[in-house]
Amino acid sequence: MAQPHMVPAAPDAALILAWQAGDEQAAAELVGRHARPLARFLAGAGAPDADVDDLVQETFIRAFRSVDRFRGQCQFRTWLLTIGSNVLKDFGRRAARRKVMPLDEAVRDVTGDPHEHAEASETEELLAAGLQKLPRLQREVFLLRAQQGLEYEEIAAALATTPGAARVHYHHAVRRLKEIVK
Amino acid sequence: MKGDAMNSDAMNSDARLEGLAKRLGHRAADRLDVDAAARKVVERLRERPAPRLVWVQQTWLRIAAAVVMVVGGAVIASRVTPGRRPGVSPEHVAHFVADDLSDLSADELQDVLASFDEIISSDSAAVPEGSTDLHELDAQQLRVVLRFLEG
Repeated sequence: MAQPHMVPAAPDAALILAWQAGDEQAAAELVGRHARPLARFLAGAGAPDADVDDLVQETFIRAFRSVDRFRGQCQFRTWLLTIGSNVLKDFGRRAARRKVMPLDEAVRDVTGDPHEHAEASETEELLAAGLQKLPRLQREVFLLRAQQGLEYEEIAAALATTPGAARVHYHHAVRRLKEIVK
Repeated sequence: MKGDAMNSDAMNSDARLEGLAKRLGHRAADRLDVDAAARKVVERLRERPAPRLVWVQQTWLRIAAAVVMVVGGAVIASRVTPGRRPGVSPEHVAHFVADDLSDLSADELQDVLASFDEIISSDSAAVPEGSTDLHELDAQQLRVVLRFLEG
């Protein structure tokens, strides 16, 4: 019996080229690949759960519209996460202008199923709150390294810094977060 | 032994922190409807084309506004600056005189030069003997002399 022929998935670069040529399905495929890690990153960086869906969409919209500027200096996902970080920053500014509530308070006031909230560990909540107290660069480096598992070289390329500086930011973040969650 | 224990504690602490970080945001990610998100993204891209044209228009408007400000400022400055007639530079005066000369006949040019002679003689500027008589010059040469006198 013949084995089913496995078709290798197209690399991100090929999908980006296809999207630039007008292939909407390629864009949908890229969203399917990277939406969940992006959602985790945004939520970890302080996005209220109720807004993660919108922020994910907005991040992809911005990414696809400015994809000409993506030169392959890092992975597409890493580049996407940095755009997500900017989208979240703009969201925080708008929220501050509307004076609804500060972003860090919005993070703690998670909407959704109360049962799920009860299940969330207290330490996790502490970590989420602690991340909001870090400078933005430290927070991003920590999330890219600890949550997304990226190498310092990749983080440095995405954030336009050096691997050494990224390593220093990470260690500062870890030191402060350990004090918060211990 | 004590140092090893401290290192072990630190490693455990780092690993615990990384473990917590990996779980961070998983509820939001699990709740995300990826297919719906992909559909909405594609729809929004289709509905709202890239705002490049708007950006270009805004850029041209800014450039036009800057040009208007620079030109307007220069005009105002030229009017405000003392000792200069608005809109007329010394180069323009010389140009107009030269243009006027080109319309004159040889006789008319000689009359003009004669008046110059009178001015010079009235200022007691002696013409040395043997100097070239201006009446012997043709029209082209007279124009050159006049331009020279104008500086």
